[in-house]
Amino acid sequence: MSATQKTLPIIAVLLIIIVGAAAFYVGRSMAPAKVETTTETTTVTTTVTTTVTKTGPAPTETTTTTTTTTTTPAPQFTTEQIVIGVTDKVTDLDPAMAYDFFTWEILNNVMEGLVKYEPGTLNIVPALAKSWEVSEDGTVWTFHLRTDLKFADGTPCTAQDVVRSINRVMQINGDPAWLVTSFVDHVEAPDDYTVVFYLKQPTAFFLALLATPPYFPVHPAYNPTEVDSDQTAGGVGPYKIVSFTRDEEIVLEANPYYYGEMPRTKRIIVKFYRDATSLRIALETGEIDIAWRTLRPTDIEYFKGKAGFNVIEVPGTFIRYICFNTAMDPVSNKLVRQALAAAINRQEIIDVVLLGAGEPLYSMVPKGLWSHIDAFKDKYGDANLDLARQLLQQAGYSETNKLQITLWYTPTHYGDTEADIAQLLKEQWEATGMIEVTIQSAEWSTYVAQLREGQYMVYLLGWYPDYLDPDDYLTPFLHSEANSWSGTNYANPQVDQLLTQAQSITDQAQRAQIYEQVQQILAEDVPYIPIFQGKLYIVARSDVAGIVPSPTMLFFYSTLYKTG
Amino acid sequence: MARGLGYYIAVRALMIIPTILVLYTIVFILLRMLPGDPILAVAGTKNIPPEQYEELRRLAGLDKHPVVQYFDYLWGMLHGDFGVTLATPRGTPVSRYIWQRFPATLELTIFSFAISVLLGLATGTVAALRRGGMVDAGMRVYSIVAYTLFIPWFGMILQYIFGLQLAWLPTSGRLDPGLTVDRVTGLYVLDSLITRNWDVLKSALAHLVLPSITLGIVLSGAYTRLVRNNMVDVLGQDFIRAYQARGVRGWKVAWYALKNAFIPVVTLMGLQFAILLGGAVLTETTFSWPGMGTFIVDRIEYRDYTSIQGAVVFFALFVGLISLIVDIVYALLDPRVKY
Repeated sequence: MSATQKTLPIIAVLLIIIVGAAAFYVGRSMAPAKVETTTETTTVTTTVTTTVTKTGPAPTETTTTTTTTTTTPAPQFTTEQIVIGVTDKVTDLDPAMAYDFFTWEILNNVMEGLVKYEPGTLNIVPALAKSWEVSEDGTVWTFHLRTDLKFADGTPCTAQDVVRSINRVMQINGDPAWLVTSFVDHVEAPDDYTVVFYLKQPTAFFLALLATPPYFPVHPAYNPTEVDSDQTAGGVGPYKIVSFTRDEEIVLEANPYYYGEMPRTKRIIVKFYRDATSLRIALETGEIDIAWRTLRPTDIEYFKGKAGFNVIEVPGTFIRYICFNTAMDPVSNKLVRQALAAAINRQEIIDVVLLGAGEPLYSMVPKGLWSHIDAFKDKYGDANLDLARQLLQQAGYSETNKLQITLWYTPTHYGDTEADIAQLLKEQWEATGMIEVTIQSAEWSTYVAQLREGQYMVYLLGWYPDYLDPDDYLTPFLHSEANSWSGTNYANPQVDQLLTQAQSITDQAQRAQIYEQVQQILAEDVPYIPIFQGKLYIVARSDVAGIVPSPTMLFFYSTLYKTG
Repeated sequence: MARGLGYYIAVRALMIIPTILVLYTIVFILLRMLPGDPILAVAGTKNIPPEQYEELRRLAGLDKHPVVQYFDYLWGMLHGDFGVTLATPRGTPVSRYIWQRFPATLELTIFSFAISVLLGLATGTVAALRRGGMVDAGMRVYSIVAYTLFIPWFGMILQYIFGLQLAWLPTSGRLDPGLTVDRVTGLYVLDSLITRNWDVLKSALAHLVLPSITLGIVLSGAYTRLVRNNMVDVLGQDFIRAYQARGVRGWKVAWYALKNAFIPVVTLMGLQFAILLGGAVLTETTFSWPGMGTFIVDRIEYRDYTSIQGAVVFFALFVGLISLIVDIVYALLDPRVKY
């Protein structure tokens, strides 16, 4: 066996020599493809000119030619190319089917709706529509389009395109279609530049809905009746899709026909990585300029202290919370749920597990969104063990007759910190001396299916908004007709009535009042315990500038550029 | 020699069919036993109305009885139809993914295979020639260590040393960002040679180094042992003594011995090729390699039944064909083999 110890170093050296030799032959010449980029530039400009000449003959397009030639020259761009790495995937490029946060981000960069969020804020501003009116009763919304809209190949985009695209979403009836079909009865285009929506009922947050991808007009090239998952024709946005290789990369290039301000960087490449480790390495080796969703908290800490990198915090509208199956003993007892809500220490979870990447959350409506109140803090405080013990005693538990609960989590879907969150919650609850927690986990697909069926007692989930309105943080969770997915079996007629009422009121102050009331009932009934509001981080090499973090958590690429 | 080579090949080829049937059945049952379904896996915590959920299930054919699903898919496969994906992007032909992903795995497999055989032959021969000594012991340890190395762990170490510390090699993907090559075979090295795209060739080779060395080393362990033991056997045989008695010395003897020790290695190659594809799953995951392995892993997360069934059956078919070829080569190499 002594031979083993002596030979191990030899093997190690052997390995290094082999890999080193191979690396020496091929690796050395691996300089970033700078030369490649410049040649690419010229080819791209020529393709643009050819499209212009192709569309030349028609009289309307003659004006196009002049405008595009003024916008296309290369020197206008500050930067040639920026590479962004993510661990997310583009699932489906068709807005009629795409229904995940990251794909929506890509769609937001290559398409726009009638209105949009101003980057860096939660303000809704005009986009393809320059103005709009609402009818007295709140059900008819009339939008006036800009007259200079064109798709990325120069095809004009009119009111008919908007109507066609929305009808298409309704007909295909894919995953996100309910964002249209639940609210819109029908939509019309009385002329080329007017779009009229007839709603099923007055909808206070209709503008927030309009800013979501199912409402984005798409190029006529999209299959009119079927999902077009790999279609790259796009819509009217600052960028167009040049190529999409699934699970490898998507290449975007400035759309020369965009009506708004030209992006500062001509080409954006988004590369897809399988895990946080490869994403981190890619950023360190310079393969990518920006690492976006999602590095681990430890990686963020590492880059914060490293020269040559900037870490930019993105405040989040992403929330994490605990759910209860209110039909299952012993958590069917409200006192038990209240005791559990009182015992948790949110700041500790954030400090210990997330290394600061979050903010304590005391309501389902996130901080920063109007109508938010710290309902749970006012009622229970934080880490209030005395109150927890008192409530448990009332429910009939004691040090000798402990409350037995099972806490479920899913190990990868919310990052690999999830097991630690569950463990810490267990410790915090058991600190009361009157609770015993069993932790269990299930992989994502199993988890979703089983929790829907009401098989879990206490479980951890997270929520990315569909549209940024308090309604999207309350109705899907608390309204008994909308929360069947959650497995909480929560139903409170008063809450149902309040939420339905708030949807149709147009006055924001009046709505806010109702939502505050709902949040107080939430803290009293405790079908959910909000834990924290997530923060995301953009880590960029220090020569990248123009990063505008948005509270929508969508990253808009058009302001990016490189210095020097 | 009674019935001839043609008959032998035909029988061996027919034996692939039951293998694949059994495999398909196992995969089918295992997938249905997992909780969850493709519609829910995509919807996650989003609020899909019950009617829409039922409609999506109906469109995906999931409302049918599993037995009907089993035979429907089998019938489709007999016609070369691997079905359409059930999770996002829904309704894409599975064959399109296989067409897109398989060359990536094949390319990685070929390079790893070559590396593992070369390494195995070299280390095994050296060990046999220095039998009983330090080198022999060292090679024995190498073979055990290599065989038991955990690919993700080993891959990450190589990524750390050669990607991060020395910055010689890329650590993930197949090409540098923004590079593309016209598809001829889908094997980037070959395609770039055909289209004379030297930038792509360099980038493709550089990206291949770490993953194929990781997998190659792990698989070389088995060869080391086999080659060494066979060489020791052969070196002890009379014809080697006869060579030595006639004054043939050193590496020349080794060469003659190696030729004779090689035959069992060919058999192992056929077997290793199947393991190689399995190892490709782990290697691909570690190096973000967009091949069949990562495809299957992703699709399992989505419970995308048809994609997994299609990919596994295609894999099995390919491995079956390779082992058939190996058997034929073996039969041709060794005159003692009876058909």
